[in-house]
Amino acid sequence: MEGPESWAPEVAGRFGLPAAAGLGPATFYADLAIPHGGRRVRVCTATACFAAQAGRQLPAVQDVLGVMADDGLDRDGSVSLRTVRCLGYCYAGPACLDGATPCVGPDVADQVAGRVRPQAPPIPVSDATGDTVVLAGIVAGEAAWRTWVEIVGRRSPEWVRSRVGASGLRGRGGAGFPVAAKWAAAGGSPDTVVIANGDEGDPGSYADRLLMELDPARVLEGLALACFACGARRGLMLVRSEYPRALAAMRQAVEQARADGHLGRRVHGSDVDLDVEVVAGAGSYVAGEETALIAGLEGGRGCARARPPYPTDQGLWGAPTVVNNVETLAAVPWIVSRGGGAYARRGVPGETGTKLVCLSERFARPGCYEVELGVPVRWIVTELGGGLREGAELGVLQVGGPLGGFLAEEDLDVPLTEAGLAGYGAALGHAGLVAVEQRLEPLDVLRHVWEFAAAESCGACSPCRVGSRRGLEQARSGVPPGDSYTRMLNVMSEASLCAFGRRLPQAVRSLVRAYGDRLRGWCG
Amino acid sequence: MRVTVEGAVVDLPEEASVLLALRAAGVDLPTLCHDERLTPVGSCRACLVRLDGRVVAACVTPAVDGAQVSVEEEDLRRLRHDAVEVIVSALPPRALEGDGELARVCRDLGIGPEAAQGGAGRGVDHSHPFVHLDRDLCIACGRCVRMCAEVQGTFALTLVGRGSETVVAPGTGGPWADSDCVACGGCVDSCPTGALTEPGLPIGTHLATFTRTRTTCGYCGVGCALDVLTREGEVAAVRPAADGPVNRGHACVKGRFAHGFLRSPERITQPLLRRRSGLEPVSWDEALAHIARGLRAAVTEAGPDAVAAITSARATNEENYLIQKFMRVVIGTNNVDNCSRLCHSPSAAGLTAAFGLSGGTDAFEDVERADCLLVVGANPIEAHPVVGARLLQRVLHGTRLVVIDPRAVGLAGYADVHLRPRPGTNVALFNGLAHVLLTHGLVDEEFLRQRASGLPEATAVLAGYPPDRVASITGVPAEDLVAAARLYGMAERPAIVYGLGVTEHLHGTDGVRTLANLAILRGAVGAGHGFGVNPLRGQNNVQGASDMGALPDLLPGYGRITDRVARGRAERVWGTRLPDHDGLRIPRMFAAARSGALRVLWIIGEDVCATDPDTNRVVEALESCPLVISQELFLSETARHADVVLPAASWLEKDGTFVNFDRRFQRVRPALAPPGQARTDFAIVHAVAAAYGAGLGCPTPAEALAECGRVAPVFAGISHQRLDREGAIPWPCPDPEHPGEARLYLDGFATPDGLARLAARPYLPPGESPDDDYPLILITGRRWAHYNSGNMTRRSGTIELAPSDHIDLHPADAARHAVHDGDLVLVESRHGQATLPARITEEVAPGQLFCTFHFPSSRANALTSEHADTVTSCPEYKVTAVRLRGAQG
Repeated sequence: MEGPESWAPEVAGRFGLPAAAGLGPATFYADLAIPHGGRRVRVCTATACFAAQAGRQLPAVQDVLGVMADDGLDRDGSVSLRTVRCLGYCYAGPACLDGATPCVGPDVADQVAGRVRPQAPPIPVSDATGDTVVLAGIVAGEAAWRTWVEIVGRRSPEWVRSRVGASGLRGRGGAGFPVAAKWAAAGGSPDTVVIANGDEGDPGSYADRLLMELDPARVLEGLALACFACGARRGLMLVRSEYPRALAAMRQAVEQARADGHLGRRVHGSDVDLDVEVVAGAGSYVAGEETALIAGLEGGRGCARARPPYPTDQGLWGAPTVVNNVETLAAVPWIVSRGGGAYARRGVPGETGTKLVCLSERFARPGCYEVELGVPVRWIVTELGGGLREGAELGVLQVGGPLGGFLAEEDLDVPLTEAGLAGYGAALGHAGLVAVEQRLEPLDVLRHVWEFAAAESCGACSPCRVGSRRGLEQARSGVPPGDSYTRMLNVMSEASLCAFGRRLPQAVRSLVRAYGDRLRGWCG
Repeated sequence: MRVTVEGAVVDLPEEASVLLALRAAGVDLPTLCHDERLTPVGSCRACLVRLDGRVVAACVTPAVDGAQVSVEEEDLRRLRHDAVEVIVSALPPRALEGDGELARVCRDLGIGPEAAQGGAGRGVDHSHPFVHLDRDLCIACGRCVRMCAEVQGTFALTLVGRGSETVVAPGTGGPWADSDCVACGGCVDSCPTGALTEPGLPIGTHLATFTRTRTTCGYCGVGCALDVLTREGEVAAVRPAADGPVNRGHACVKGRFAHGFLRSPERITQPLLRRRSGLEPVSWDEALAHIARGLRAAVTEAGPDAVAAITSARATNEENYLIQKFMRVVIGTNNVDNCSRLCHSPSAAGLTAAFGLSGGTDAFEDVERADCLLVVGANPIEAHPVVGARLLQRVLHGTRLVVIDPRAVGLAGYADVHLRPRPGTNVALFNGLAHVLLTHGLVDEEFLRQRASGLPEATAVLAGYPPDRVASITGVPAEDLVAAARLYGMAERPAIVYGLGVTEHLHGTDGVRTLANLAILRGAVGAGHGFGVNPLRGQNNVQGASDMGALPDLLPGYGRITDRVARGRAERVWGTRLPDHDGLRIPRMFAAARSGALRVLWIIGEDVCATDPDTNRVVEALESCPLVISQELFLSETARHADVVLPAASWLEKDGTFVNFDRRFQRVRPALAPPGQARTDFAIVHAVAAAYGAGLGCPTPAEALAECGRVAPVFAGISHQRLDREGAIPWPCPDPEHPGEARLYLDGFATPDGLARLAARPYLPPGESPDDDYPLILITGRRWAHYNSGNMTRRSGTIELAPSDHIDLHPADAARHAVHDGDLVLVESRHGQATLPARITEEVAPGQLFCTFHFPSSRANALTSEHADTVTSCPEYKVTAVRLRGAQG
């Protein structure tokens, strides 16, 4: 496929739309903006894969393919290579997607070269709570849809909302908004749309991929319950294109649910009509932000929009819209079935329940663990993760993806809560934990953070549009910055349009803080 | 809602933003991504204030009742400074030159060029004649994109790329010149940084060094207020006035950019007199003496009715007033007419018959409030772009739309129902719509009882137009007809907007009247619910030229020449007896010339050889007339056939007023002096009168309008002084205290009995119908980049946007005639032939062709016929039977 100028205007015309409606979005999304060949390779350059080999996988893959990443096609136009930020193999990276085939492991370049067989080890999964909530299907074998069958037609939306309200469940995608309050804010109109946000863009987290691939029915059941609670007749399931297996699994689960009568008209003899459509993303981190996600679903550029209006008032095509993260929805069947109190007793007051945490490849026992909120991070790192593999020393620990933050070894006693992490300038985010070894150069890690920022800033607001680029230039120069950098970080955090630009300076500052003397002069 | 800004309490409407609160409190802060006309997006993040303790971007934050807004705290000042500094840091130093918005903001904040360290080398796009892009100056604020979408409605632009790479681009991806851009200039006007500029005002320009002249556009009849920027006797740029009463800061390619003709080397700058060798330059004295001699000879030998004048709908009110006064008072004839004869004379006749006054019934801002628009025989997107854009925005925001037009152009693509009648079948179609209103009970019984007359007669005629029969006459499917009637009939505030597709027919006046029937049946005129019937005027002052009495049967203010009272009033003001019989209409003037009865034909600014139908016969008339005077900017076809050519001033060189399509008087002010010896039409008429030994009084345009107010009570309250103060005043305006009546007939119709008059008019076939010899129907009209005969637009940069003429035909007809896109085709009618390149498009229906007369060399009007409206003599431009003679070349 060539660059968007050659096809996007014409495609728009075929739908009776102005050329601009094609070109604008097509140049925005990485899947569309960068020409790709018959063989289309995506290489992950996100934190865990970076931390695995200090970023050396990228030149290695470029070498074996004979093409530079993000730079068009190779000489005969048959192969393209694009960097992506996270394929969800953080526990075993570095990772590539060769078409839809994952190639994962230290020998990723050899796999891509065809010298060894492509590998994609399954996600190690474990419940560390003793009474799993979101992993109920995956580790405890509990079938999905049972709650739905019991509820639909027998209970009221208010009843569902009140149980979820009593549970204290908050959004697990990073923003942490109370779920029942969001549902109530939509106002109960039948035009309401509920969107399951499977655009798990946070590098370091693969919990949503796990749920969508291994227990898609539970995610869908959660979405159905959310739709019911909101009075919505329509659910949408957005799955990022970097997760081709999750996309296939979700589509199949929707087909199955329709066949089993969980979706459709007058579900299970009730007066509830509900259908769910699965939509693929197109390659953008910011497009996981709810307003950007809605812009993308409307066919536009996946840029954040100012709120208000909040999506619950005016979302997809102006309709009241609720956006819930996949992990959030996966908790809903358990809560509805066991009651809000049972969930609220888990975790800590104010931050109730359980959370999936994802440990990166540098850990001795990487994988996805369900834990109760409030457990010490050190416990996760040492007891669950077994510390770093081969006895390596921890440099810093990234928590919650690029918008989360970094902890030093001595900070690890912090409890895994939003409030606790905030004390270190970090955030829970989607609770990916990426271990960065002591041997990595701190400036390389800083540059890595800014590379992510520059690659994924949507450009909708100036602080982030300019700041993400200038931060990268500064980090690349290696020269400790002056006052204007400090002012720029301040403008980014105070004035950016969405959490992406607002959080980045915090993440950068927390990294500098965690490295202490090793990044002196970069405080900003 | 009440908000406290820095201690000052301001009252705000609901849903106001914090920025509005700041503005209300007189606080100014940088708003680089903000334009009041556009949806705020909060991109630049410079308008930072504290709202109840939170730092917010004021433009996208709703104000809340009781909120406290702080602006002046030191940390906020610093944050706003730093936010702009961050933006500037990515730009090259030239971004801070001149006095564009960003440069001004930086000066205010003390940000100097040293802060501008960027310049990514992203390049420029100078492919377009009017819009230049410098990508390095783009701050991705999207104002241009939103202007193009939310004001212009063309959707030609988009932001492309993401993150720091984000930049504006035309949506088609290639050069700007090849894009969907229609050069309204909105993006240039809104751009805060100079990323988008026009050639006359490059980056670094200091606007303060220009002279700024507020005037009214001289192209179409929308009446856009423009600010003309001049320096050293040259127009640098024309910018739409943000406070323009009609255009509100918007304009189109013509008003905004098509001014290059002013300095065309082809401008006539001295009088020309026909000698044996042809037209030769002479002095004004010589030319005027020649004219005076000719006038005297004609009047002496053949009487005053041997003299006729065609005035100009492009000229000012005052000029038109003066010319008709000269003809009536000095010569003693009513032989004065203007080109509304060729466009909207059926509107004048039809609207007067139906409602009492010769003009649209409602103000444009009311039309915009309609919940259903019926747009008939008009393509405002191209011909009245500012109106078209505004109507489109209403439709995009949910107003229902019915379009009646044989062609699928402009608004038709957005219509709920698009009816495509066969050309010439309007009356049947309108009667059919009225039939459905009646049979479906969608009429306003109360209104019909109290405020209308003629219902029984109309009902009897309308009974003969059931949908099936109408379908067979018009080709419009019966169900579409019913759907359209129901949309109009069930709307709470419907409005009718129409154009020359209604009037330029053999039964154009019947068309206007049967269209007006719909508003009367529905009670949607003069009643506060529904916005009447509104003609879109093709020329800047076609309303005014008629208002001023440049008509053979009507005095200024539409008093009939045959009406003793009206005539008496004029006679008292002018101090002389007036001829009491109607003068000649334009087509009759030509006939009189051909027959030898007409001795002098004075043509002011009309290229009748290009714009009037049946060109060959027009030329014959000019050649038969002993003295033809042409007042012109250029040596037009008409001027070439004249005996005396007088160099005239253009609209940018004149003082006076125009009346736009919704009856608003607005001022016209000279931005430049006329070139060489050219004079305003006002001065020329005075000079001719003087040479003839007569005085006309009213030495200035202001005095002319004042005198007109004494002749015509409907204009009595309007004066230059008042317009200078108030901007625009609609007529009727009977006294200086009266605000003018934007919305007519709320207290009764202006008909003799005060009732709206329903018309009972049967459908009659057009003058020409397709037959075996001439199987196709030609429609003529206008395209977006050009205007009328093209005399001005072809000599401005617009020619680069649309360099050539073409004739549109449907793919099926193209296949039948083996014509390919771009082939030159010979088109023949019973009256003449024309050769044009073909453009194959489904915009036209099978069996129909479309072309313009923007390029007189194509001779489109050699094809059109002398058939004309039976009431007003308006030519049947919209229906000519033609045939194609295969492909050539």
